[in-house]
Amino acid sequence: MERLEEYLRQAKRLPAGPRILPQLIELLKKEDANSGNVVHLITFDPALTARVLQVCNSATYAGSQPAADVHQAVARLGFGEVYKIVARVISEQALAPAQKGYGIGKGELWEHCGVTAVAAQAIAEDLGLDAQSAFTTGLLHDIGKLILSTVLESTYHQLIEETERKQCSLLEAERTVLGADHAQVGGRILAEWKFPAVLINAVTHHHDPAAAPAEDRKLAACVYMANMVAAITGHSYGYQALALQGRGEALDILGITRDRLPIYMIKTIDAARKASLIRAA
Amino acid sequence: MPAPSTAPVTSFEQKHVVSVADLAVSSNPGLQLITYSLGSCIGITIFDPVTRVGGLLHAMLPDSKIDPAKAAAQPAMFIDTGIPALFRAAYQLKAEKHRVQICLAGGAQVIDTGGFFSIGKRNYELTKQILSHHGLVVRAEQVGGVVGRTMILNLRTGEVRLRVSGENQDTILWKG
Repeated sequence: MERLEEYLRQAKRLPAGPRILPQLIELLKKEDANSGNVVHLITFDPALTARVLQVCNSATYAGSQPAADVHQAVARLGFGEVYKIVARVISEQALAPAQKGYGIGKGELWEHCGVTAVAAQAIAEDLGLDAQSAFTTGLLHDIGKLILSTVLESTYHQLIEETERKQCSLLEAERTVLGADHAQVGGRILAEWKFPAVLINAVTHHHDPAAAPAEDRKLAACVYMANMVAAITGHSYGYQALALQGRGEALDILGITRDRLPIYMIKTIDAARKASLIRAA
Repeated sequence: MPAPSTAPVTSFEQKHVVSVADLAVSSNPGLQLITYSLGSCIGITIFDPVTRVGGLLHAMLPDSKIDPAKAAAQPAMFIDTGIPALFRAAYQLKAEKHRVQICLAGGAQVIDTGGFFSIGKRNYELTKQILSHHGLVVRAEQVGGVVGRTMILNLRTGEVRLRVSGENQDTILWKG
């Protein structure tokens, strides 16, 4: 655990963007969400505003007339959709750089997390879970890798040896080699940033949803499944990208059978293509 | 200021990206067909060395029965509809069945003793079954494991290369 604290001290160097997401989530929870507050929070950052408008006006969303400012975007698409665009833009900025310690190239961690987010949303919608929380957790589930990648740059060969020799998952290898895993680190980062407890717990337990507190187990299992869907459909990168532990209990928690997996794969690929998350050139 | 390079341009290869659940065929020798992100999906390349017609399929799931409407709209989504679609498209460009060189990659698996997520294995088994049913032989393959793969077919030479995620160098799967 000491090493976990040591890693967390490095978290100060992380991009600050995701810090505004908990504030937005809080605002959106209120029935009478005041659009002025939401717009104020977004437009505080001019670069973010420009990117958000660019996405709002892209082929995925574009209506007859482009939105000229965030007020118009909210009026046209609604708070929920604008929140998702903001979360996407912020996560992309944080997750786009290469993560050398994991052998993950530029843009690849972002693609993985974007695909996981649309998968989590599709699964949540299918099962009547909170789709917005599922989407956000999917976007941020691997944020702990940003910290551990730096440490791994000098020790990654141990990680690969460990997974190959013991046929164990990357997560277990992280624990052996680093004394902490990216899910724990990610959960702690979200706690520092004051995300709601359910998101913190879902990120912390996204590889082992049965260990999550009972009330947050379904979201953790939803993101577990989404991460699996992303990996199986090939949207997972770096060394031993599919060294994930298959857990039948995740299906039990969600009350589904294995037959549902192909359906979620199809829904995910369709959604990821529509949201321009899949590399095409 | 360094002198501008006078080395002649010896190649002008164009890339065509085949997305997941998609396929492409071509007889343009200046083209490379490339598919990223084969996880449990199967990548199949075919190449006729005489007519220089080649194709690449990136299929995601074994059996189209789970969604016939999807299979009709997007046959490359499934192994059982994608393979016939790939061959039909190549035959139209004058590829001959008895000449085509077939290579396979992908079919990776998560660590899953319970068999809950074993799509990669089922994809691979059905691929082999369909190909052998039609008397088609696979020249080279690299399948299974826990790695992601990129597959590239060079339509000038018929060479098939693979790039394993996390590794810097391509490997040659089939020399063409």
